[in-house]
Amino acid sequence: MIICRCEEVTYGELVETADKYGCSPRELKLRTRAGMGYCGGRTCRNAVDSIAHSSTKRDVSQITLKYQPPIRPISFSKLGGVGNND
Amino acid sequence: MTRRIIHHPVLDRIDETDTVSFTFDNKKYKALRDESLAAALLANGIRTLRHHEEFGTPRGIYCNIGHCFECRVTVDGVQGVRACLTPIQEGMDVTSGDKLLTSVRDWRANNE
Repeated sequence: MIICRCEEVTYGELVETADKYGCSPRELKLRTRAGMGYCGGRTCRNAVDSIAHSSTKRDVSQITLKYQPPIRPISFSKLGGVGNND
Repeated sequence: MTRRIIHHPVLDRIDETDTVSFTFDNKKYKALRDESLAAALLANGIRTLRHHEEFGTPRGIYCNIGHCFECRVTVDGVQGVRACLTPIQEGMDVTSGDKLLTSVRDWRANNE
């Protein structure tokens, strides 16, 4: 079953990694790339969060998974490419 | 053009006469003006808008409201255009994304 559509990370992969390493959500994201895809984690962020917290307690001092700038994908040409470096 | 809902019980009737033509992967198709690109392709029976860059699995409309980017296509050379949010214009040239030549996901696996 696919949890992260953009990176095609399956539920089995996530649970196995979470149990093996006892990861926090951010670590689970770093290990499996779930949440790093083109959509910025919009589809799978909550699922990755809850899968990680099914095996380890929530550590409130840790930063949670959140939307990272750029909020929407942006091309380098828009950031200052030839022609629109206004 | 029979796949569209013309007489919607709530929304008003769709004007079927105002059609524009556009090309998708070098094939000509007909669509209604200002319809979303995703809807136009769907009405023409095309559900696969792109293939996953890494695994090549076919992808199409998912959220249809501009969040998930599953429907991103290249319109007139501009990449990452969301088909579900782009209104159709006359003579639009749309190309679908394909699997990339080299895998970029896990370089350690094939580079060590």
